[in-house]
Amino acid sequence: MSGRATSRVLIVHLAVIALLFLAQFALPAYHHTNVARIMVLAGYALGYNILLGYTGLMSLGHAMFFAAGMYGAGLPVYYLGLGAAGALAAGIAAGVLLAAVFGLIALRTSGVSFLIVSLMFAQAFYLASLYFNEITLGDQGFILSGHLAPLEFGGASLGFHEPAVKYNAALLLFAASLLLSLGLRVSPIGRVLIAIRENEERTRLFGYDSFRYKLLSLVLSGGLAAAAGASYALLFSYVGSTFASILFSIYPLLWTLLGGIGTLLGPLVGTGLMFYLVDVASGMTSAYLLVVGVVLVVLVLWFPQGILGTVRAKWLPWLP
Amino acid sequence: MAAMAAVAPLLETEALCKRFGGLAAVNEVDLHVAPGEIRAIIGPNGAGKTTLVGMICGRLAPTSGRVLYRGREITAMRPWERLMQGIVYTFQVTSIFKGLSCYENVALPAQRGLMRGFATRLALGEQLVADRVHAALDAVGLAGAAAQRADALAYGHQRLLELAMALAAEPQLLILDEPTQGLAEGEIAQLCELVRAISRRATVLVIEHNMPVVLALAERVTVMDSGRIIAEGTPAEIERHPDVQKAYLGR
Repeated sequence: MSGRATSRVLIVHLAVIALLFLAQFALPAYHHTNVARIMVLAGYALGYNILLGYTGLMSLGHAMFFAAGMYGAGLPVYYLGLGAAGALAAGIAAGVLLAAVFGLIALRTSGVSFLIVSLMFAQAFYLASLYFNEITLGDQGFILSGHLAPLEFGGASLGFHEPAVKYNAALLLFAASLLLSLGLRVSPIGRVLIAIRENEERTRLFGYDSFRYKLLSLVLSGGLAAAAGASYALLFSYVGSTFASILFSIYPLLWTLLGGIGTLLGPLVGTGLMFYLVDVASGMTSAYLLVVGVVLVVLVLWFPQGILGTVRAKWLPWLP
Repeated sequence: MAAMAAVAPLLETEALCKRFGGLAAVNEVDLHVAPGEIRAIIGPNGAGKTTLVGMICGRLAPTSGRVLYRGREITAMRPWERLMQGIVYTFQVTSIFKGLSCYENVALPAQRGLMRGFATRLALGEQLVADRVHAALDAVGLAGAAAQRADALAYGHQRLLELAMALAAEPQLLILDEPTQGLAEGEIAQLCELVRAISRRATVLVIEHNMPVVLALAERVTVMDSGRIIAEGTPAEIERHPDVQKAYLGR
C-alpha cells in the first residue's frame, strides 16, 4: 500500500474513533450503555477477524479466549483484590498463553479439521469452567462490584459503575484493537497473512514459514479476544461460564460475517447491527430470534460478502 | 564434458529417488547444472520431471539420495529456507494470488529479501518494496497492470505475472515448470526473450514440452524417461540421439 493510501485509511479509522468519542455526549443513557457494550464486543470481533478475515482460519472456539481473558482478569480481582490495570494484563496474558498452546497443537490442522479441533478445545474449556465450580462459581458466576477498586487518576477517583468511565474505557479498548489490527494489516506481516489466506503453498515457496505466521496471527487474535473478555468483566462487573459456551464462539463469527470478513471496520458494523437487531426485535415480539434469523438471511442474500465487504467490492476498493 | 568439470556445479543431485508406493517416479538421478546455464529437462508425461524439480525446490522430500546447492547439502532444507538461498520455483499450473492485485502478488516475494530482523517485519520502507515490484512488472511488460486484480488478466498475462513474481524474489536458480503451456505463438516468443534476459543474472532450469522452444533456448538438454535420465547433451546432440528419437520424439 502506498504512503498516500495508508494515510487516507488512517484518517478514516481515526475519524470513526473520534465519532464514537463524540457520540457519548449525544446519546441517551440507554444507548450510551449499549454502545459501550458494543465497542467491547467489537474488540472481540476484531480479534476474531484477524484469524478469519486476514489469515483464512475459521475457528469455532474463540469463546475460550474471551473467557480466558474474563477469568484471567476476574479471578484475581475476586480472590486477591487485584487492581484493574493488573487484572487487564493478567487477562490478556491468560488469553495469549492459551492461544499459543492451542496453536502449537491445532495449527497442524487446517480448514474443517481446524474448525472442529477449535470447537473441541473450547468445549473442554467450557466444561472445565463448570467442573471447577468451587473456584469459578460455575454458571452462577460472580460479581466484581465491591471487589474492584476504582481507578485513581490524578486525584480523581473513577469508579467502573460510572457510565462515562465505562464508555471511555470501552472506547479505549476498541481504538487500541482497531489500530493494532490496522497496523498489522499494512505491515509486511499482514501481507504474508493475506497471502496465506489466498494460497498457502505458494506463500511457503516464496520463503515464508507459514506455520509461524499462523501462530502469530492466532496469538494476536486470542490476545485481542482476551483483552475484550477482561474488559467486559471489569466494566460490566460479571464473570460467568456462559461466556465460555459455544454461543459466544458463534457470535464473533456472525458479527464478522455480517459486517464483512477481512474488512477492518466490518466487526464494529456487524456487532452493532446484530446487537440492535436483537434489541429491537425482542421489544416487539417474544419470537425475536425468528425476526433476527429472517433479517440475517435477507442481509446475506443482498450482501454476500458482508456489509462492508460488499461496499468495498462495489464502491471503495481501497478499504482495508 | 571436460569444460563442465572445470566449473563447480551450482546444483547437483546424487542418486536422487522418489517412490510413490511401488512406483519409482524418480530413480537414481544424477543431475549437474553449471552456474549461468539454461538447462532444459524434457521427457514424456510421467517421466518424473516435475517430481525431480519438486525435490530441488523443497516441495517434495526425496525417498533417498542427496541434493547439493553451491556444494552444500540441502536435501533436508525447508522450502522457505531454499528460497532465501535463491532457489525459486514457478508452478506448472498457474499459481498466483487470484484475489489480489498484481502489485500485491509481486510485493509478497519482493519484500521477502528486505525482511531481515524483527523490526522490518512490522514496518518496511514501502518505497523499497514498490521499486522492486515495479521493476519486476516492467521486466515482463505488465507495468500498466499493477492495480488490476490478478484473475482479471488474460491467461498469458497471468503466466507473465507469475514470472514477475519469481523475478521479484531475486532468483539465482530459477526453475520454470512448462512456462509456455497454454500460450499463443507470439507470447511464446516474448517469454523466450524474457528467459534469455533472466539467464544473464541467474541459472535457469526449465521443464518444457515445446521442442522448438527447447532447441532455441537451452544450452544443454537433459532427457528423462520412466524416472531416469536417458540422455544429456547440447540441443543438436539430443536431436540426433537414437534413444531420444525413440522415447520422446517418436521417430
